[in-house]
Amino acid sequence: MTDNRVERFIESAKRVGATVEKTENLEEAVKYIADKAKGTTLVPVTPLVIRYGLKALLQNAGVEVLNKQFRDGGQFPGAGVTFSNFAMADTGTVVLESTDENIRLATTLPERHFIIVDPATILVDNLAAAAPMNALHEGNAPKFIAYITGPSRTADIERVLTIGCHGPRELYILLVENISSDLMEN
Amino acid sequence: MATDMTYKQSVDIAIGNPKLSKALHLFGDAYLIARENAFRGLNFEEMRTELAAIKDEVRVRRKELLADFIKNAEAAGSKVFIAKDTKEANEYVIRLAKEKKATLIAKSKSMVSEEAHLNKALAEHGIRAAETDLGEWIIQLAGQRPSHMVMPAIHMFKEEVSELFSKEAGKHLPAEIKALVDHARERLRKEYFNADIGLTGANFLIAETGGIGLVTNEGNARLCATLPKVHVVFAGIHKLVRNIEDAIKITQLLPRNATGQLLTSYVTWIRGGVSADGGQKEQHIVLIDGGREALYESKACQDALRCIQCGACANVCPVYQTVGGHVFGSIYISAIGIILTAFYEGLDKAKEITRACIGCRSCVAVCPAKIDLEEIILHLRNEVTKIYGMGAIKNVAFKAVMKNRSLFHSMVRAASKLQRPVTEKNADDPGRRIIRHLPLHFMSRDYTEWRNLPAIAEKPFRDQFDSIVQKVDKPICRVGFFVGCGADFVYPEVGVSLTKVLNSFNVEAVFPKTQNCCGIPALYAGDTETGEFLAKQNVEAFTEAQVDYILCICPTCTMAVKRDFVNRLADQPQWAAKAVALSLKTMDASAFLENVLGASAKMRAVRSVKEITYHDSCHLKRGSNVWTEPRALLESSGHRIAEMKNSDRCCGFGGTYSFLSHPQISKQITRDKVETIQATGVKTVATDCPGCMIMLKGAVGKADPTIRCVHTMELLAETLEQK
Repeated sequence: MTDNRVERFIESAKRVGATVEKTENLEEAVKYIADKAKGTTLVPVTPLVIRYGLKALLQNAGVEVLNKQFRDGGQFPGAGVTFSNFAMADTGTVVLESTDENIRLATTLPERHFIIVDPATILVDNLAAAAPMNALHEGNAPKFIAYITGPSRTADIERVLTIGCHGPRELYILLVENISSDLMEN
Repeated sequence: MATDMTYKQSVDIAIGNPKLSKALHLFGDAYLIARENAFRGLNFEEMRTELAAIKDEVRVRRKELLADFIKNAEAAGSKVFIAKDTKEANEYVIRLAKEKKATLIAKSKSMVSEEAHLNKALAEHGIRAAETDLGEWIIQLAGQRPSHMVMPAIHMFKEEVSELFSKEAGKHLPAEIKALVDHARERLRKEYFNADIGLTGANFLIAETGGIGLVTNEGNARLCATLPKVHVVFAGIHKLVRNIEDAIKITQLLPRNATGQLLTSYVTWIRGGVSADGGQKEQHIVLIDGGREALYESKACQDALRCIQCGACANVCPVYQTVGGHVFGSIYISAIGIILTAFYEGLDKAKEITRACIGCRSCVAVCPAKIDLEEIILHLRNEVTKIYGMGAIKNVAFKAVMKNRSLFHSMVRAASKLQRPVTEKNADDPGRRIIRHLPLHFMSRDYTEWRNLPAIAEKPFRDQFDSIVQKVDKPICRVGFFVGCGADFVYPEVGVSLTKVLNSFNVEAVFPKTQNCCGIPALYAGDTETGEFLAKQNVEAFTEAQVDYILCICPTCTMAVKRDFVNRLADQPQWAAKAVALSLKTMDASAFLENVLGASAKMRAVRSVKEITYHDSCHLKRGSNVWTEPRALLESSGHRIAEMKNSDRCCGFGGTYSFLSHPQISKQITRDKVETIQATGVKTVATDCPGCMIMLKGAVGKADPTIRCVHTMELLAETLEQK
């Protein structure tokens, strides 16, 4: 990559309150998650989760992975772990195709959300996302695509920025190379 | 706001609550900085021009795009309902709720649901609406309506929130913001799980995909769209966009302009009924007209539907900062609120607030959709005047007096004599009299207790001009001087100064005697008939004068000649071409000196350096985009400018606004300006507008008589005299 989009992404994401870590490989990322995740952890099953056996990796590392219906995991589960489709450097945004309900529950309900991003999927800016967004919308199947930029926030009381309103209070972005450069999968 | 309260009472109560105004001022200042940072490296002007074009195309193609949206949404399994008004929209939701035996609806923020009074309609059928946006929940508990589009509870303080939350929870909650947010997080989580229906708004309806987009920060919209098994989208038809790329362009402007964020925490793109609890969700999209089609059809006002609801027009509005959104608005507030109220709730609901705009154009400067809010508001004010009249004083002043030039001018001359008993010598400027107090039958004490009003000059500029000896030798050009009432009758010395300055560059000034008031005071009062009459009088006077340029020393007059004369006479072929010809050669004196004559480069090398501060007049900076020119002229003529904070914030004058319609609001805005001038510690404040001079000389004079307020042309003339 000729431009500095990875560095730019890290800077933008940190500015909005995300924690960004470059990790050597998936095992290291799993270790990082195991260290920070507390309580029930939701890990929705997706093609990349299956390919890398992420659930087993997390479980073996001691993470309390929920093995029943996510709706039965309590109203405030401890953590959610997902991969991402792609990201955008200008705003520090990660994009996650979330049509499967479990992905939505794992990224809206928990106190903290861990999201694994392949740096090869970082786009230079929001406008560059138009093409993959259009591709994700091909056909007419129902779709739910989430842009996530930092943790949940509000300024509704006295205009004071407060983190952690209705969504995750903490957002951890783990950069792991060679996961998948396909923007259509997560 | 209680309905039995008069508008005037609500203004007085708001002004009596300085805590709110102070909070809104702090917010306004912080907003400007955050916004500037958010747009760094981007071209706002280009971006908003593009957005305006996108939205205009949607307007033109709206029927076709709406059909596309419906077709694509239905293909993805959504049910789409078009409601001609908010009542139909409410009925649809009530019917659906009954069909689903729903008793609880979890809602994320939807302004159109406020417009529809949806919660109340649901309650009447035993259906509870749970607002989950923090600000919306606060005002729901308080039984109020939003006072800002983006931050609905911006008018409330943490102590009030703690009281509301404690009462609802049945236990004491401390007035600490973090604790209150945590409480809302915990308390409202139940609602998503228990709700039968989740209702969200939509920031865009994408024709090409049939999907919607939500731009949010808290995360409640995602929960409302995920946990309940039915998703209702409640949206105005103007949220249509062609495709995803256009929607992305909106997301580049909306958060930056709303809160200074590069992007909100969440942008959520939803199409159709996605999976839910082992099955498939039902998605119902309720598209509401509710006056929007009529607004699209109104040529004078249709640009208002370009609005992306960022709330910036409130953030920068001095009137909003003074009285808040509950006074200056209805469901929608501030500048855009005036227009939307007129179309969605009716002109009678908007008649007071159309007059509450001071006309400073700060909203126009920050609008991401390039809506000329001020122009639309003036149009509506005219409509209000047609139906409800403009009040006896203005009726006599504009219709009977101003239209008759010689009567108007001889009355002003006579007033100069009649005012004698009520004027006194100005301590600061003994040659000039000021009005100590006005006869009470004419105006109340309210008008002079906080400022000195200038007395009318003994000899107006029009009677002095012929005696000015112009020292020019084969002048390089002849300029027609459009003096304006302020300089003509109150500050004729500004006109004398300009003539001196022009002569020093070998330019001859011409003064067509039949010129009259530019008509803006009448126009701002909603009297377009008098405005048109005056436009013709002036166009005739200056066309006959055959000059190379027309100069004004009042930025409002500049706007009148450049913009309003052309608009006012556009439909009359015998006048239109003349008005355009004059418009093209009209400019503000500072702009002429700097941009045509290159004066600052020629004025270098001056002995002394005097420290001054500079106030940007609203209509000079935002009406003519002139603000570097006077600074260049002043700096090259031996002045160092110590910039005041918010130098381009309105001084509170607004013409008749500060005298007749809203003196109590003006007073507050002027006080802010005086404070910022005093904070510079500088003893001279320059400006390029006689209107601002009336306001500043008067209010600064009361606050600190050692501060001098002066027109840029006067300082330039003084420098030239020293040479």
